[in-house]
Amino acid sequence: MLSIVKRILGQIKNDKRSMGLLLFAPLLVLTLLYFILGDSNYVPQIAVYDMNEKFVTELEQNAHVVELNEKPETKEYLEENGIEALLWKDTTGTHIELLEQNSKSATALKAIQDTNKALQPAPAQSELLISYVYETADDNQLDSLSYVFLGVISFFFVFILSGMSFVRERFGQTLERMLMTPISRMDVIGGYTLGYGLLSAIQSVVIILFAVYVLQLSVAGSVSLCILVMILMAFSAVSIGALVSIFANNELQMVQFIPVVLIPQIFFSGLIPIDTIPFGLGNLCYLTPIYYGCAALEKIMIQGKGFMEIWPWIAGSAAFIGVLFFVNVLALKKYRRL
Amino acid sequence: MKVVVNQVEKAFKKQRVLSQISLTIDSGRIFCLLGASGSGKTTLLRIMMGAIPAENGTVTVGGTKVPDRKLLAEMGYMPQNDALYEELSVWENLKFFAGLHKLSRKTFEKKATELLQVVDLLPEKNKLVRDCSGGMKKRISLAVALIHQPRLLLLDEPTVGVDPVLRRRIWAYLKQLKNSGITILITTHVMDEVTQCDDAALLRNGHIIAKDTVENLIGRTSCGNIEELFFMDGESEMEAALC
Repeated sequence: MLSIVKRILGQIKNDKRSMGLLLFAPLLVLTLLYFILGDSNYVPQIAVYDMNEKFVTELEQNAHVVELNEKPETKEYLEENGIEALLWKDTTGTHIELLEQNSKSATALKAIQDTNKALQPAPAQSELLISYVYETADDNQLDSLSYVFLGVISFFFVFILSGMSFVRERFGQTLERMLMTPISRMDVIGGYTLGYGLLSAIQSVVIILFAVYVLQLSVAGSVSLCILVMILMAFSAVSIGALVSIFANNELQMVQFIPVVLIPQIFFSGLIPIDTIPFGLGNLCYLTPIYYGCAALEKIMIQGKGFMEIWPWIAGSAAFIGVLFFVNVLALKKYRRL
Repeated sequence: MKVVVNQVEKAFKKQRVLSQISLTIDSGRIFCLLGASGSGKTTLLRIMMGAIPAENGTVTVGGTKVPDRKLLAEMGYMPQNDALYEELSVWENLKFFAGLHKLSRKTFEKKATELLQVVDLLPEKNKLVRDCSGGMKKRISLAVALIHQPRLLLLDEPTVGVDPVLRRRIWAYLKQLKNSGITILITTHVMDEVTQCDDAALLRNGHIIAKDTVENLIGRTSCGNIEELFFMDGESEMEAALC
């Protein structure tokens, strides 16, 4: 088992480009994502109808304001003029109508709330009634999804690395040669999981340190707990990669398996709130290792929970790795019966 | 180690690859499986190791029925393509396979140096395999098959792409191994290598069409030309043309 681990580390050591891709590609993607989702200084466009002068002047500090003389048909008006929000007032309170929920409407919303705060330091007297043309109101902001991207990116790279190298090993027949020694199947899978697991553990640590200290991602809980969760997720990615590669006959098929395995996992990573998935399909999340990882990351990074509160997810991750290990040992029977 | 193949049959999907193969390889002999490409040589070899199961029939090696994990420690297998790790150096490749056989560091270093000398690669031991030529890879692959001092050696086309000087050296080493009691099975379609072997079996379309000692086989041909062995199954007009 140890010789397999050493061999894997030796291989990657002599293959500088793969190592570079393993360590820096996720950082590149993460940085890109950071800028794409980050604070863009975007100035929202807000249309107002029948609002008092003082409010409009204040709002102009935060947004481009278009003053209207009559209340338009919201949906068509917003769509045609590329304006984020429509603001008007009646007896029930201040109405904010937005087209859909995205980062642009979030900036508009923030501008309005800032204005409100500036005018009335005390809690708002007139209620803010928010409605979306295309979606129901929810306080879900993209910024708070950082944990999903951390999880998915690290999972993605590790899955490809382990799956591909296993397929290559079969293709080059080194797998058969390796199996024609007295080594046990358990040692083969163990060596593989440990070897690539170690590599991806290093990757996870690099990613999370980069995210926290360079990109200044906010982590409410402990960073080392995040690292633990990421490492567990990396190990399950290695095992899934190995499992899938056993059913892929060549590199092309392995690449085709990537979306099949990965996209459903992204659904359950927290991008879509699991409770809202219909027909109880949300329960499928328990079959995806990324769910355990991302759920735990969410609890640490956003909610600042400690080990005692997230241990069920950590245990789930660990159990997943254990089950996959035995499934892989059995699946390897396809190549050697003993 | 004596190898006994008894009534082995194998088909891939519906295509019959081997039918009714029976042969015995005596301990301490060099046995040659001769056949055109596609005749089932590699398949038979893999069945003999236990890499793939046969539909019917049995194989025993040294009295133990194949497949057996302990038996694998006694076998050295050199596949037809090189099956080496391209990103590792020559030495690291040897070390990895030695590690799978749980060789001690000392034995490994001694054995690896000795083998690399035989295949003339000692000066290049730190070269990465991906920078090696085809012939070099072949030699490394041979060294890998021998690293754990197997008692049965299964070589699938071992000298393809190896230059004549080195080929002679490898053969001399194989004979030396044979004299120390190691059984060697090689597959080839290169005719002049057959004369180096003790026994041979001819494989054609999944059938053994002749098996005997090489001496007797050559005696059966009309003009001592080994290539005639291929036409022994009744295509006598071809045989006449060759003489």
